[in-house]
Amino acid sequence: MTAVPQAPAVPPPAPPPGAVSPGAVSPGGAPPPPARAAQAAVRRRTAAKPPTGVARLLPRTVAGRVRALTGLTGIVLAAVLVIVWVAIGNARDGVRVIGDDAGPQVVKTSRLYYKLTEMDAQLANALLIGRPQGPVDERKKALDGFDDNRRQAGAALLEASRLADEDTEKKTAQDLLDALGRYEWLAGQAILLDQGSPDARPTHAAGPPKLPVIKRYRQATELMKLDLLPKAYNLTLDNGTLVRHTYEAKRGAVQTGQVWTLVIGLLLLAILVGFQVFLTARFRRLLNPALALATVGTLVLVGASWAVLAGQADHLRKAKEDGFDSILALWRARSISNSANADRTRYLIDPELADTYEQVYFSKSQTVLYLKAESLTAYNQALQGLRPGKDEQLPIKGFLKNEEAHSSLPEQHAAFLKVINDYRAFQQSDRDLRNLVESEERLSSPTAARTKAVASRSAAADDFAAYDRSMQKLINIHDGAFTRAVDAAKGGTGGWHAVLPVAGLVIFALVLIGVRPRLTEYR
Amino acid sequence: MREPTMRARLTGSAALAAAVLLAAGACGVAGAESSITAKDELVVGVNPDQPGVGLKARNGDYVGFDPDIARAVAKRLGGPAKKLRFKAVTSETRERMLKDGDVDMVVASYSITPDRKADVTFAGPYYVAHQDILVRATDAASVPDVRGLRGKSLCEVPGSVSFPRVKKERGVPVRPVRAAKGYGECFDLLAQKKVFAVSTDDLILAGQAARVAKGEAPGPELKIVNAPFSEEPYGIGVRKGDIDGCEKINKAITELYQQTAAGRDSEAVTLLKRWFGPAHLNTTSTVPQFEGCD
Repeated sequence: MTAVPQAPAVPPPAPPPGAVSPGAVSPGGAPPPPARAAQAAVRRRTAAKPPTGVARLLPRTVAGRVRALTGLTGIVLAAVLVIVWVAIGNARDGVRVIGDDAGPQVVKTSRLYYKLTEMDAQLANALLIGRPQGPVDERKKALDGFDDNRRQAGAALLEASRLADEDTEKKTAQDLLDALGRYEWLAGQAILLDQGSPDARPTHAAGPPKLPVIKRYRQATELMKLDLLPKAYNLTLDNGTLVRHTYEAKRGAVQTGQVWTLVIGLLLLAILVGFQVFLTARFRRLLNPALALATVGTLVLVGASWAVLAGQADHLRKAKEDGFDSILALWRARSISNSANADRTRYLIDPELADTYEQVYFSKSQTVLYLKAESLTAYNQALQGLRPGKDEQLPIKGFLKNEEAHSSLPEQHAAFLKVINDYRAFQQSDRDLRNLVESEERLSSPTAARTKAVASRSAAADDFAAYDRSMQKLINIHDGAFTRAVDAAKGGTGGWHAVLPVAGLVIFALVLIGVRPRLTEYR
Repeated sequence: MREPTMRARLTGSAALAAAVLLAAGACGVAGAESSITAKDELVVGVNPDQPGVGLKARNGDYVGFDPDIARAVAKRLGGPAKKLRFKAVTSETRERMLKDGDVDMVVASYSITPDRKADVTFAGPYYVAHQDILVRATDAASVPDVRGLRGKSLCEVPGSVSFPRVKKERGVPVRPVRAAKGYGECFDLLAQKKVFAVSTDDLILAGQAARVAKGEAPGPELKIVNAPFSEEPYGIGVRKGDIDGCEKINKAITELYQQTAAGRDSEAVTLLKRWFGPAHLNTTSTVPQFEGCD
């Protein structure tokens, strides 16, 4: 091939669709009828009159123009391929971060808070149980639970600190480690004080332990509440921010890629159609089959790329909104519920601070499911007055409202209603227990009243466990949606890195096959 | 004749492409521009009438814990160097002023509640205040906690939740003494021995007690009971949906509570000591649990 004069700055006309037959005039002053165009070209070639203006940029021979159009087609085709390649790369990055990397890790760190509250709850349980009674060693069970959760909290903390990408977060993780050490130290002291000496067993009946034990526990639980839990919670929020930023950046990039694919893809189609029109007119043939095939191939490629990118953006959205966001929010709700549940144990352990623990229990309950109420009693009344399943939308706010508002998965609604009903049951048995304590308090001392009420606390504990299980089920539903969206996203781009170059080569080969016989006419 | 047409056409499609892209980009840019992170000047809504927490001084400056928190946070927001301007807000006006853009950020003993979260995005809390009780130091021994108020007179500010919380939620029978003009009037009544106790957020009580202790306000010595019975998470309100701004503020608050060196007070603790130290209030020195920006 001889050197081809390129004219990328001024490509040939892109006739409107349907303007393939000679003599068709497009609206808006499109190219003149091909017959006249051909005459003009011939005239220019024979007369050898130097062209003026932009015409100078155009190749002056027909063969030159065919080559120029071929070159332009190649360049724009390459551009389309690069755009789709990059956009798919962005989609894959997004899916990797959300699906395999930060996403699951963040979900893991959100358990940190739960494990910490569980540690403190088990410590309170162990201190409440007192001397051995019955066949099951409840105190050992609680202490084993404490230890088990301590180990899991440590693992989650390690994960969270690994994810921390800013100095502030790293410092928070470090402070958490420090505070956890101090907490365990205080917890150990409370346990030892409760049993008297390392190998002895506590001697008090089930109920509030001795005052020095209460005081040490108070220090431990204060540390947990004011230092450990807020930091654990904030760290999970920070990690969630990381995922949100990746999600927004990658999804935005995929969508921008989609727009570009369409714009440049349409440009390529226009060039191919224009090329066809030019050849039809210039060489008086009906249709160039190879070029027509290349045009159809381009249409398919652009369409398929658009569809794949749209699919990717949608999978990313589903993974984030139906999966990740809900999982994170529900873990937060579950953790806060768990710590509210422990506040009831604290209310039983520590008569002096019982008012405060009750107030905190109330405010945590309202975070999970908000109803306007002046007191815990009024809150429970309003809660029992709800009609889940009957009312379209429950008149509530808080975490559970968000879950109701973002109901998009098939089994989600039924699982949500179960959570609400179990929550009501557990709040009712909590109320019953508090009523019992209050009525006993009128007859005896706060400590004696609590010692008496402790025997009836299993109903509330069982109801809470049932609620916690339905919460876990609801979280599992979102876990499933998350995994499905991530898998679908991964499957959707499988093989595309092979498809793109092959499709490009095939289309360009078809163009070459189409123009080669025409060029030989000028040899 | 032919060439210009082609060119026009090509220019047309290029313009279309550009327009599509600009439109796509514009959404992102619009969101970023109205975020507090992108502003050169921040207008901060603060209280003008709460000693220690937020007070308009005679020279027109705003002084107190809240304005200091706003300054410390703004310094850490990044982006253009922030100029700060303070504007007085009240409990009635702050939501509307945020919505209308009269203020960019509200730091005004602004408790985060589920109701308010419908209209405002809250960063923080930067401090969790508690309802507590303020009495004259000579009466302090008779009030170990809220139940010690039984049968005593308590200042009632219409519209405030503090009084009903003692009487209804805690079920303590107290006698109301109304102060229509707010807690400033309550403090006057307390100094004049016309009321036995004032109960509201501990920071507000401590601000007053500190002023009396420093001789900046008249009256007998005051004492905080230090028997907290509610949680008031003081948030920083920003325009609803400004998640970027909210996250940056949270990061700034985290830093405020982190020690720069072992044994040295964090900036937040320094501020708490400066404004409430003389009142002997038990304050929390660690970062509160954030609400989350979404």
